[in-house]
Formats: sequence, C-alpha cells, structure tokens
Amino acid sequence: MSETATATAIMPEPVGRRPPPAPYEGSAAERIAKRYVERHWQGETYYGRNVVKPSPFSWVVWVYIFVGGLSGSAAILAALADLFGDEESKSIVSRGRHLAAIGSAIGAPLLIADLHTPQRFFNMLRIYRATSPMSIGSWILTGFGAGAVATAGADLLGWRAIARVMQVPTALLGAGMSVYTAALLSATNTPFWAAMPRLLAARFGSSAMASAAAALSLAERIDGNDAGARKLDRIAAVATAAELAVTMATPGRLRAVGLERPVRQDKWAMIDRFGAAGLGVVVPLGCYAVARLGRKQNRTLGVAAALGILAGGLLMRMSLMYAGQDSANSAQDYFRFTERPRRERGG
Amino acid sequence: MTAVHPRARDYPQSELPHLIPRESELTAGVIIEPGKSYGFFTDTTRCIGCKACEVACKEWNALPADNLGLTGMSFDNTGALSANTWRHVTFVEKIGADGERVTDMPPYQSNWLMMSDVCKHCHNAPCLEACPTGALFRTEFDTVVVQQDICNGCGYCQPACPFGVVEVSAIDGKAHKCTLCYDRLKGGLEPACAKACPTDSIQFGEVGELVERAKDRVAELHDRGASDAYLYGAPGTPGATGGLDHLHAFFLLTDAPEVYNLPAAPTRASRRTYPSLGTGLAVMAALATAAAFIMGERR
Repeated sequence: MSETATATAIMPEPVGRRPPPAPYEGSAAERIAKRYVERHWQGETYYGRNVVKPSPFSWVVWVYIFVGGLSGSAAILAALADLFGDEESKSIVSRGRHLAAIGSAIGAPLLIADLHTPQRFFNMLRIYRATSPMSIGSWILTGFGAGAVATAGADLLGWRAIARVMQVPTALLGAGMSVYTAALLSATNTPFWAAMPRLLAARFGSSAMASAAAALSLAERIDGNDAGARKLDRIAAVATAAELAVTMATPGRLRAVGLERPVRQDKWAMIDRFGAAGLGVVVPLGCYAVARLGRKQNRTLGVAAALGILAGGLLMRMSLMYAGQDSANSAQDYFRFTERPRRERGG
Repeated sequence: MTAVHPRARDYPQSELPHLIPRESELTAGVIIEPGKSYGFFTDTTRCIGCKACEVACKEWNALPADNLGLTGMSFDNTGALSANTWRHVTFVEKIGADGERVTDMPPYQSNWLMMSDVCKHCHNAPCLEACPTGALFRTEFDTVVVQQDICNGCGYCQPACPFGVVEVSAIDGKAHKCTLCYDRLKGGLEPACAKACPTDSIQFGEVGELVERAKDRVAELHDRGASDAYLYGAPGTPGATGGLDHLHAFFLLTDAPEVYNLPAAPTRASRRTYPSLGTGLAVMAALATAAAFIMGERR
C-alpha cells in the first residue's frame, strides 16, 4: 500500500480536475458565510492596507500598448489598401507595411526590457497558455513580428506576390495586436482594469485603428498624396467616432461597480478626460467635421486631427495604466470590486 | 555531525541516524503521497500571534528579511505577504476601538483577531493561469509552485492573484511565493509553519480531511457560544467564489473577511480574457470592414 510511497518515486496522473470535497453545510455557519458573500461591503479594511498587489509594469508597457496597437492596425490598413484600394493607395500599402514592421521591431525589445529577468525572454515561447493573455500576446507578437518583417522585406525587395500573401496572416494577427493588450490588463485582479474587459478592448481597438490611420495620413500628407490622406482621414474619423462611443459608456460602467473614484478625481482622470478624450477624440472629430463642412482642401485641419489622435492615444494608455495601478493600491476599490451584489448589478 | 554541544553527547538516544521516514505521520497525522491534494486549515480562533510560523518559514526557506522597522499600526510589523514573506500574521485589535471602556469580553481571545495568512493554493489558481512561461505549475501534491529556473520575471502573476500573495522579487527578478514546502513534502515532512505552530492554529493535511475537521471545529465553536465562526475558502464559502472553486489553504474566521484583508467574493482573473479578446476582435472586424469600403471608393 502506501508503505514505500516516498514522494519522489511515484509520478501521479496529471493533476487537473480532482473531485472537490463535499460542499460546506454547517447550518448557522453556512448562513454567516453566505451573508458575507451576498452583502455589500461595510467599509471594513485591514488598517487601510492594500489587498492585491499592483502589476510591476513600468512606463514601457503603456508605450508598448500604443506602439503595438498602432503597428497592428497599420498592417490591417496596408492589406486593405492593397486588396481594395486604387492607384492612390499604393503608397499607403508600402508605408503601412513598413510601419507595421518598425512597430513590432520596437515593441518586442520594449517588452523584453520590462521583464525582471530579461535574459530569459525566450521562456515566453516555452509553452502556450490559453488562459493567459500574456502568453497569447507573446505568440501574437512573435507571429505578427515575423509576418510584418517578411511583408515589409518582400515589399522593399519588390517581391510583390510574397508580400501580398504574407500580408493576410499579418493583418489578422494585427487585429490581435490591436486588442490583446486590453485582455492583458483586464484578466488581472486590478479593479479598474478588471471592471471593464469589453470596454477596454473596444477602446484600445478603435484607438489603435485611429492611430494607424492618423500616422499614415500624416505620412501621405507630407508626401503630397492628399487624396490618399483624405481616405485615411475618413477611416480615422470612423474609428475615433467608435472610440467616442466607448469613452462615453465607460463612466457608467465604473459607477455600476463602485469604481468611479479613480476616474473622477485624480490627475489620471484629468489626463483621461482632457488628453485622451479631449485631445484624442473630440478635437480630431471636430477638425474632421469642420474640414468636411468647409468642402475645401484643408491640410492644416487634417494634420491637427492626426496629431491629436496620436497624442490622445498615447495619453489614454498612460492614464488607464496608472489609474489601474492606483486602484490596485486601494483596499476600497478592491473590496467594492469583489462585492458580489455590486458585480452582478454591474453586469 | 558538525558542531554539537558537548552536553548533547550525554543523550545519545536523541541522535537520529537518518531522517524519520514519513515524519508527517508523527507530527501531523497524515502520510504525504503524490496524487492527493494537500493544504492548510488555519484556525484563527487558536492563533496567539506568536509568529513562529513566520520565523519557521523564513528559516526553512532561507528567505531574506523584509520590512525592517515598525509599521506603527499594530503588533503587525510584517505588513503583508511578499516575495520574501510567505506567512504573515495579521493583528486586528478590536478592544476599545471606539474609545469606550470595555466592560464585557467576548468568549475567546479577548476579541483580538489574529490570522496567519498564506498563499491559498487556489484550486483554479489565477497566478498559474496567468503564467506565460509555465514557471508556475501544479505539483503532484495539488499545490502551486514557482519554478525559479524558469520564471523570467514578467510579473503577470502578481496582479492576477486575487489575494496579493505572489510578488516579483527586487533582489533576483523572479516571482516568489509559498511553495507549501514542496521540498519538505517530497521528503515526507510536514510544512515548516504548520510544524512550528504551537497551538495547532495551522493544520496541515489532505484537503478533504481538513475540510471535515474544520466543519467539526466550527460546529464545536458554535456549541460553545462563538456564533460568528465560519469557514473562508472551503467549498461553498466566501473566498471560494468567482471560479476559484475552493482554496487549498482555507481559514476559520470570526469576523467579516475584509477585516482580515480578505475579499468576500474574489474572482478568477482569466475569466475576463475571452470576453475582452472577443469584443476587441469584433470591433476590429467592424472597423476593418468600414475601412475596406472607404479604401475601395473610386472617384
């Protein structure tokens, strides 16, 4: 039987799902336990100390979220311009491919630099873990980086057929690049990020698309291709309008789960409101509207809108990142977030 | 034998030729075998706040000192679990909290609440699910351990933990947390903290057996008039919520979980992965469709 069972000798069957112990059924104790799960938090804390730990991510991460999203969406725009565009779109195709390659070439070293043991970065590709956006993202970035560099390389060498084939998987992975970072932040127990997995993804995605269109539009304008730039401006306007809708839905969601504090008061809230939403969404949409009403070629408005979108996108990632870190350091935010009644009401 | 005190030689019967095989059977009444689930039942009504568990853990695992100095808030100068502190005794001093003279006492512990906090070794462990390298793994004892030779310090387990347990060390850049004394379990020894606990507030054993024992203890406390005792982290109780299923290190508490810095209804972080990814990809598909139409317009 178990006489000789030294721990090292026997390898068990893989430990996955073992039948859990029988449910807890003490009468009075069960009622107490149930009450604590189902009640609203009454304000108790342990000397106000934080409960969960904030992520150990540095500024590198929010810069990467911006750069990665921009390059992912640039690959999508390049592929769409190649597949559906006309003669005026040719320069967009090339620039989009180059931007995607440069973005992934910057993004990967940034992420490696943020590891606390960077010399082991390759362990990221040791396994694939479907429950970990960090693992999913590592593979997306690896695939996207390879695809983007191959597409851009083929483009530079004039191997058009190879570029046309390679751009398709690259663009598909580009969609992942644009949004997986939202899952990365949301699939944590940092209250501010965990409270809005869907809204965060919609916001990152629309902002990534707007940023890529804005960056390419700037390049086209500098190059003198105004017709191409105007198309990109319209894409940026559509994406920015989507971002506006998501931005407006966010405060209600946070109020429902009791986390309105971080967005209402501190400096990150101000940066989010005036930098991300104001400069990055409202100002560009205004510029595009005025340019459209004016019916004449107004380069200044297009350039201003594009710059606003890029700056706003970067500020949005920064403010969301640090607002999240603050909420992880707040026992109040975490205990409100982990209240079951509030979470259920919040959806 | 290295340096032994000369007087110790007067008692040769105390010298052991080798480790006691399956020592845990003597100290904890349990034989440690791979393939079974092991954990802790921490009964806070028995904790006297001696911090022997903290010391035993530091000694056995050779953990660096942490947070030297006084917190100034209570007898808890450890503060929190961290990369270097894998057992942490919380001190909640409730007597006279509102400035009034106390004239009657609750039935035990003078209402000083002490709890030896530890990694919960969740049944569905968010840290393990977040780990992209596979450094965090489930052992043959159904516990959750970080492999130090694989961890690359990405730090993603740190915000994933719903209890603030695992942390990346500033000293070596790897994530660290309680291993439930994986090395000791391999050698048939009870974990250091449980073995050192002088009041059996920390009990080590097979999870199913511990839950039964804990239920009996709760019933006993209720019989004795301590009607606020309940379990935290056992199946179907606070802490065992949000997809975590149940915690392999669970607690007997006598006040709201938040009083001990524990969330009432924590959640499994990985649950939010696919709602987020799915919504994001749907938004990207919609925007790409719009962009394709705009790109395709001819004038």
